[in-house]
Amino acid sequence: MRVAAYVLPVLFAGVFLFAAVRRVKVYDSFASGAGEALPLVRSLFPYIAAVLILAELFEASGLSLKLQQALTPALQALGIPAQLAPLVLVKPFSGSGSVAVLSQILAEYGADSYIGCCASVLYASGETVFYLSALYFAGQKKGAALPAAIAMAANLFAAVSACLLCRL
Amino acid sequence: MNVLFLVVFIAASVLVVLGDPAAFLPALLAGASRAVALCLTLAGVYALWLGFLRVCKDGGLLSGLSRLLRPPVRRLLKTDDAAAEEQVAVNFAANLLGMGGAATPAGISAMRLFGEKKNEYARAMLFVVNCAGVQLLPTTLISVRAAAGSAQPFAPVLPALCCSLAALLFGAILVHLLYRKRRCA
Repeated sequence: MRVAAYVLPVLFAGVFLFAAVRRVKVYDSFASGAGEALPLVRSLFPYIAAVLILAELFEASGLSLKLQQALTPALQALGIPAQLAPLVLVKPFSGSGSVAVLSQILAEYGADSYIGCCASVLYASGETVFYLSALYFAGQKKGAALPAAIAMAANLFAAVSACLLCRL
Repeated sequence: MNVLFLVVFIAASVLVVLGDPAAFLPALLAGASRAVALCLTLAGVYALWLGFLRVCKDGGLLSGLSRLLRPPVRRLLKTDDAAAEEQVAVNFAANLLGMGGAATPAGISAMRLFGEKKNEYARAMLFVVNCAGVQLLPTTLISVRAAAGSAQPFAPVLPALCCSLAALLFGAILVHLLYRKRRCA
């Protein structure tokens, strides 16, 4: 952790110095890159808004909880303990949500327990598929469904192998 | 996405109406304001990383990086688009190092470049690779574990890497099979 903290300062300073040696006007160059941020976020905003509104409704309506209850037996059949079902199901939708669920699981069952181990590995071995698909396929008419389904399947595969690995 | 959005929205709305209809609008508005807050945060994060990446690019570092990663990128994505390759190289490198703020804009711009070329295979593969979340040092996980009082906060790092790689392999094989079949059909 200590070493990791030095990586970014060294990387930034190193790159800026290297660029300066190559006669890049670092300040102008940085500013012109940073200027791309707002147009990018502007183009993503409609999709982020739609996805987050849907996610909030999904949560508030209790549909998320119902789905969790319905899917728990299926997950258990795959070797994923019931305590981890919330994490598996929140993960695709929300990064901040899954951090919250992870902390909760670690606090409840202990970070070094079997459940804690599974939860940790599971958390780190996948991404927020649904949210990422909204960003990556923003503004594209078609083609998001199949890749998203494949990514979901791959994440489920990672979850199953996480629970297997922790049992060793 | 359209079908999913509609189905989930209608199902959730019916549940809200059956339960507490007054909760409907507040939930939607909460989602909308979270989106605004998230976009503001993202604008800051992306400004930092896009600025940094532009300095890298102008200093000639990105072409070096993409030359370094070219063989695996070409193999994996079946592309020969140099501009997209550079973005993919940034995306992969940033993901590995856990710099999500740099990975996402590069990934999106690569997706757009592939979209122009109608390279569906590359888009699906790039997306699946991003979703596997392969990261050398998952810093969030380690800090959450340390905060929860773990004696070994680093213990799951290696298993997590293995699982991500397993997911990546699994996803890549699926993309390979499904997209090849589609092209023939």
